[in-house]
Amino acid sequence: MEYFSYLMATGISTGALYALVALGIVVIYKSTQVVNFAHGEMFMLGGYLGYTFHVMLGWPYLLSFLLAVGAGFVLGLAVDRVAFRPLMQRQTMVSVLLAMIGLSFVLKGVARWLWGGKGDYLSFPPLVSPTPISFGGIMVMSQQLVVLGAACLVMAAFAVFFKFTRAGRFMQATADNPKAAKLVGLRTDRVYMYTFAVGSAVAAAAAVLMAPLTLLYPDIGFALFIKAFAAAVLGGLTSIPGAVVGGFLIGIIEQLAAGYIHSSLQEVAAFVVIMLVLTFIPTGLFGQRRLRKV
Amino acid sequence: MKSTRIIASLATAGVIGFALAAGPVRAQDAQTQGISSNEIRIGAYGPFAGPVYMYGKLAMNGVEAVFDKVNEAGGVHGRKLVLVREDDNCKPEGAIGAVKKLAYDAKVFAIIGGACSNSTLASVPELEKSGIPMVVNSAVADAISDPVRKNIYTTMITSSVESRAQVDYALAKGAKKIAVVRMTDAWAMARWNPLEAYLKAKGITLVEDLELGVDANDATPQALKLKASGADAVILVLYPKPAAVLIRDSLKIGGNPLWVGQTAINDFTAFNKQVGVPGALARFATITSTAYQPTDPEMKDWAERLKKLFPNDELSTFNMNGIGSAQVLVEGLERAGKDLTRDKFLAAMGTIKNFNVDAYAGPITCDSPKSHQCNQAPGWLVLEDGKVVREK
Repeated sequence: MEYFSYLMATGISTGALYALVALGIVVIYKSTQVVNFAHGEMFMLGGYLGYTFHVMLGWPYLLSFLLAVGAGFVLGLAVDRVAFRPLMQRQTMVSVLLAMIGLSFVLKGVARWLWGGKGDYLSFPPLVSPTPISFGGIMVMSQQLVVLGAACLVMAAFAVFFKFTRAGRFMQATADNPKAAKLVGLRTDRVYMYTFAVGSAVAAAAAVLMAPLTLLYPDIGFALFIKAFAAAVLGGLTSIPGAVVGGFLIGIIEQLAAGYIHSSLQEVAAFVVIMLVLTFIPTGLFGQRRLRKV
Repeated sequence: MKSTRIIASLATAGVIGFALAAGPVRAQDAQTQGISSNEIRIGAYGPFAGPVYMYGKLAMNGVEAVFDKVNEAGGVHGRKLVLVREDDNCKPEGAIGAVKKLAYDAKVFAIIGGACSNSTLASVPELEKSGIPMVVNSAVADAISDPVRKNIYTTMITSSVESRAQVDYALAKGAKKIAVVRMTDAWAMARWNPLEAYLKAKGITLVEDLELGVDANDATPQALKLKASGADAVILVLYPKPAAVLIRDSLKIGGNPLWVGQTAINDFTAFNKQVGVPGALARFATITSTAYQPTDPEMKDWAERLKKLFPNDELSTFNMNGIGSAQVLVEGLERAGKDLTRDKFLAAMGTIKNFNVDAYAGPITCDSPKSHQCNQAPGWLVLEDGKVVREK
């Protein structure tokens, strides 16, 4: 029973990492209908910026966190301007996706150039004590509880934002039908811009919180993106709660597969999930099927 | 008509004569290519980017630091050393292309480098064909330098030496139940294969053989299995990140066997921070190819020189591998003398015995013609009273 409890507890805490990254993917997809393949690298850069402020420059943690989030916001604006908007205006979706993939390589190269010489894996001081604590008889790292809390908080904030705020409804309207949204006077270009900015800011926040657990290195972005993408696909690319549930499920599936079947399955579980979901439940567990009424 | 036949015969004889004369001249060119009156051009190849760029780019930066120091003192027999870099993308076709570019386009005298085992191994036929001297400084696959090839030396501890050393260390510390946790990429397989063979030769059956991904953020399943198996020593065939995650998660559930690392985890100080739990490395030992930690006072001069040349770099063990190998290369050039040729350089490399360099843990001995694996002396790093020390 203890064995199973540890796997479940760790699955949930690891799943929180994936959920936090998946939220950013879903937010951007919900508004733009585009999977941002550079989202992992935006996460990674946010982490490195937090490292620069807090470790290299020695600034206080909270200030460094806020600055990293702010820098992430600005990065999102830049990504929209440089990679997304010019191609969306031409309405070539494949080009947008390819541009995102290309951008991910560029951002990784920038990170290697700026921080690569500092070491292979950079450690980031945790927000709370690194010593494990007992939680219901199971030992967990305190920072994992911080990430879990953050994932729930961000999910709740986005749920409120999309349901109860004007800006959130604008984003949903733009995602549903960009042409109709433009016709009724919505500034869809501004919606996209702020979507990328908010998604990137959330990624930066997630990176600073997770960095003590994941360490910082240029390839962390893609490694987490692929798991988060699996979570988003499982939960439904248009569903914010789905992203969180998907994240937790991916985390749990990985742990149980590695714990009960074979340790090698820990890495492939996410890919198997992507394949199965796309085959049998293409819209995911909570995703909405797009209906066109004639 | 007769005069035409005479002219044609003379022209043919001329061409044949030229070809015969040019043959030895071309071979002589190859012997001294890359050498001018005031410089020696040395090539280097490895990844500039990608997940293992540190074995390429950072090692090359270490080589440049040595060249900078040597050039400041006047060079080797009055000739300055110039490094010519090529990016092989850590791919076999990239390495083959890099060797061709360096040997035939850039026409360097020798090559120092070879970061990824797979790609370096793929480039061996081209290296042999070109005859260009090669000093390997990062790739660990035994097959690169074994069997002995006239023009290839390695200053890196090879994977079979390390794998045997890990098993011997665990046994020397009294381990009765040995487990292995490993990645499954080419790097790890190059270590796992000789490790598995050595375990079999010793009659040792592992209590667990587990896999862990290079980007793993959690190793609780592996930690639980290790604890359940009762393993008292765990051999790590892992990069620092998965190793840090494994040790952290094992401590979390109360497991604390002897952890036996290898040269991928030889920056003890950095690894301690990566694990991030106080006291986590009390039972951790790792092989080091380097004599010191990057932050030790003995490496201060190199750290400053590197910073001057590459402001974004902090001295790391990857730079130090470059530094050590470059010092061995320079020693070979010095011994070969002013009338430098490829053959003289290769012969000089074979005479290097018990040569101490600033960066490597053990003395360098190139026991030519028996072995061109010049670094057979792994050191062990442990924590003692909170300080990283070389275990005697």
